[in-house]
Amino acid sequence: MIEYSQSQNSDTSGGVDISFKVIGVGGSGANVLDRLALEGSDDAQLLVLNTDIRKLSSSVSSQKVQLGATLLKGMGTGGDPDLGKQAAIEASDDIREAIRGYDMVFVCVGLGGGTGSGAAPEVCRIAREEGVFLVAFTTLPFEFEGARRMEQARDSLNEIEGYANAVITFDNDRMGELIVPKDGVTQAFAAADKIISQSIRATMNIVSKPGIIRIGMDDLLTALNSTNSRCLFGYGQAKGDNRALDAVDQTLKCPLLDNGRLLNDAKNVLIQVSGSDSMTLLEVQTVMKEMTGHLKSDAHVLFGTGTDPRLGSSLAVTVISSLDGEEAQSGVSAVEKEEVPVSAPEAIEPSPLAAAVTAAAAAAAGEASGIIASEGQEDFEEEFEEEVPAVAEESNIVPMAQPTEPEPVIEEAPQIHIEPVPAASVEQDLAASVIQPQVPVAQPSPDFEVPAAMSNPIASAVQEAASPGQDPAPVVQPAPAPPQPLVQPRPLVQPDPHHEAPGVAAPAAEAPERVEAETDQSQTIALSRIVPGQTTQRILNRPPKEEVQQTAEKVTSMPSTEEQIEQQDILQLEPVQSKGRFAKGDPTIVDGEDLDVPTFLRKKG
Amino acid sequence: MGTSNIYAGLEIGTSKVCLVVGEARSDGALRILGVGQQPSSGVRKGEVVDSETVQACLHEALVRAEERSDVEINTVFLSVSGAHIEGLNTRGAIRIADGEIGPEDLDEVKRKCRDVKVPPDNGFIHSIIQHYYVDGQDKIVNPVGMLGQKLEADYHIIHGIKTRIQNSIKCVREVPLEVEDIVFAPVASAQVVLDQEAKNRGAVLLDIGGGTTDYICFVDGAVVASGSVGVGGDHITNDIALVLKVPLARAEKLKVTYGSAWLEDINPNEKVPIAGEGSETVERLLICQIINARLNELLTLINNSLAFDNILGKTAGGVYLTGGSSLLTGLDDLVSSTFELPVCRTGYTSMSGPTALFENPQYATPVGLIRYAQLLNEQRPRAGAISKIGRKFEKLFGASR
Repeated sequence: MIEYSQSQNSDTSGGVDISFKVIGVGGSGANVLDRLALEGSDDAQLLVLNTDIRKLSSSVSSQKVQLGATLLKGMGTGGDPDLGKQAAIEASDDIREAIRGYDMVFVCVGLGGGTGSGAAPEVCRIAREEGVFLVAFTTLPFEFEGARRMEQARDSLNEIEGYANAVITFDNDRMGELIVPKDGVTQAFAAADKIISQSIRATMNIVSKPGIIRIGMDDLLTALNSTNSRCLFGYGQAKGDNRALDAVDQTLKCPLLDNGRLLNDAKNVLIQVSGSDSMTLLEVQTVMKEMTGHLKSDAHVLFGTGTDPRLGSSLAVTVISSLDGEEAQSGVSAVEKEEVPVSAPEAIEPSPLAAAVTAAAAAAAGEASGIIASEGQEDFEEEFEEEVPAVAEESNIVPMAQPTEPEPVIEEAPQIHIEPVPAASVEQDLAASVIQPQVPVAQPSPDFEVPAAMSNPIASAVQEAASPGQDPAPVVQPAPAPPQPLVQPRPLVQPDPHHEAPGVAAPAAEAPERVEAETDQSQTIALSRIVPGQTTQRILNRPPKEEVQQTAEKVTSMPSTEEQIEQQDILQLEPVQSKGRFAKGDPTIVDGEDLDVPTFLRKKG
Repeated sequence: MGTSNIYAGLEIGTSKVCLVVGEARSDGALRILGVGQQPSSGVRKGEVVDSETVQACLHEALVRAEERSDVEINTVFLSVSGAHIEGLNTRGAIRIADGEIGPEDLDEVKRKCRDVKVPPDNGFIHSIIQHYYVDGQDKIVNPVGMLGQKLEADYHIIHGIKTRIQNSIKCVREVPLEVEDIVFAPVASAQVVLDQEAKNRGAVLLDIGGGTTDYICFVDGAVVASGSVGVGGDHITNDIALVLKVPLARAEKLKVTYGSAWLEDINPNEKVPIAGEGSETVERLLICQIINARLNELLTLINNSLAFDNILGKTAGGVYLTGGSSLLTGLDDLVSSTFELPVCRTGYTSMSGPTALFENPQYATPVGLIRYAQLLNEQRPRAGAISKIGRKFEKLFGASR
């Protein structure tokens, strides 16, 4: 990721020097890759990983790695994720070799089966250790595939979310019902593959193609970041005189957008318009006008436009966003699915420590980085106006932890998910200790971190921040402050420790630069972290439904009418039915007034 | 009806079911052949709530209309109303491929306009063209054949809850009568109440019926606002009945006999008997206050919904009142003070037959349906035979300007 950021900085002029690798894990992943290869994707290297040798040999991808060659002898896993995991571990050297040197890796996997669910988290872990920017495209199985597979899929997804920079989850059930409700399984799967491959391609284009108004990885992260369990993706391409509007129409027809209706709930929406040189400003305006018509007025639109000569006379529109888990869910699976977003930040919790610590350490090490750190702090203060002051004033950290827990329901989750992470950070420590002589200040902090992370992550962060501060007192004085906000707001910092590992292993002279890049990253992430925070608030403060208000108003209006009638001093034989002949029908309510109640009575009251 | 130019307009109102049969003459005049009317029940606030009862009323009305007009009625134009119906303005734009605007471009731009977000349960009733713009040149009536790069159109779209409209249609079909088209009630009324000059000068049409009050507003000959409020004359009666504790029938009688919407002319000491001669009396002012409060609220509500783009400032033609409840004494004064516009009531133009009957504003909608059908027929000489809901009538208004 660090290298990526650098290359991104350097290619603002428009050069395409990001290298992509698309990895398909398991049978369904291979299908997606085949689709991608069919539609022609010259930007990316395709790599298929599978346990089943027959499936592997039928794939058209350029590079193939057989998983568990000795363990499974070319057979499948028979749906056992443990076997899949073992197989991946067995082939981990090959996988590492294949990933090494790429900037960005997409992992496509159909979860639920043995190879997919078992191997994918391992692949993601390896990719992370290699320091790539990792986006995972996962599909959850159809409901008819059974609860067992669904469970395996969810477990696996939780793990993947711990490693990946972004996870885009497609729900097969939803795809099936949206695309081909009456058609067979084959078509449904094929359609799903197609959408995923389109989605990958669009993501690649967005970050690799030169842009007039450029969209970067940070924008993509913001668009995808919510406590999401549902990715919204739309892509449309059209030619002709009316291509702008046609492309928008096509985009909105994408099943994941449900004719644009779902966009209405999205908070962050990334929209990219690309075309060849013939693209006019008017067309871009038209597209954006059409698209924003489908968005909430306060939605955050991340807009980008780029030129791609290969599009020829076509215009392409890409929309990427994600729905909050709550908005996306309906029905029985809602509870299950909500666990996913909630657990994600939890699982990541320890990692901000590492980032915080490294930031603090870096602040101590490099003079310039002290400035960076304080910049970072400013940013956080801006973004977290409500939360940060409390944090800054009180050294008691308990309230800080609360915002990171969207819901208390899944308290077990952090324990489960933290497990892989300390392991990773141990590795980091090992890596870091190699460098010990060169970066003496940084050294102690990662060491403390591991035990601290297990018990009380935030307290440990403070310790960390303090400990490097003891040596070079004047320089670091400002530094301890930033870690405090840093610790709490970042869910996606998870990547950082793993990045750190290879990063530190590399020549230490680059360290300050790296840190700078990382600080950029953490700012980005801080931006995106707002979303969960808002979500929790929104849930808490959810306004009462209209009906409730209406009834409340009715209740208040009723007594007053009764009083009125008493004042009239007219026969009162029965309880006043103030709506008379309209009592039975639908009320006519305008501006909170029940128009069926006589105005005369309402106004007098 | 086939190719004949005899049409039947049906209004299923809250207070009455009314079926009017009329002949559209080639000179544009209407001749009313016969009317079938029946007090309705099973309709509440303009919407069918008891299908069977409504069908019984409808059947009665049909038999009478057929007897009087000596025409066998197979298909009707049906007016719909109800507070769920709303109007909205939308603009669409397309680029013209070959530089010359053709009829297919008009369809295209209309499609763009109709691609507007309405609640998922709602369907379009009318899409009425307001104006076209060619390359920014505004107020173009008919752009076909013009040269331009960009065609824009403003449409007024009237939409309502699909199932409620379908219920009305279903009810009529079970009589059985085929529904040739549905028309939002004030759109039909405007055909006879407002002449072309009034539309061009700008006018508001208020159709205060039994269960609903429908309105439509024209500026520069185009519809700019329309809608329906679920409050009508029945509410006034109900208010009187509730406040004075009298039966509804008596309340209706009090409303018609003593009611006034305008309080200034009322003698505060005047007393009227509540339940007939010799019974307990009540101040007439009280009755009028009840009516005034209700109508004042209703008119303010409509006035507020028209308070955008200064459209009321462009309606020099004034407010036209129609509907049964518009007969109420003093309403003109109240409307004129609320809208700050002159109030007009006109007879219908270009009409023959037992016209005396139709001077009554209660019949504006069904007669308007005949006119609507006539205009539609002029527009699309042979298209009338196909009955289809939500058909495209936007040219109607563009052409009638």
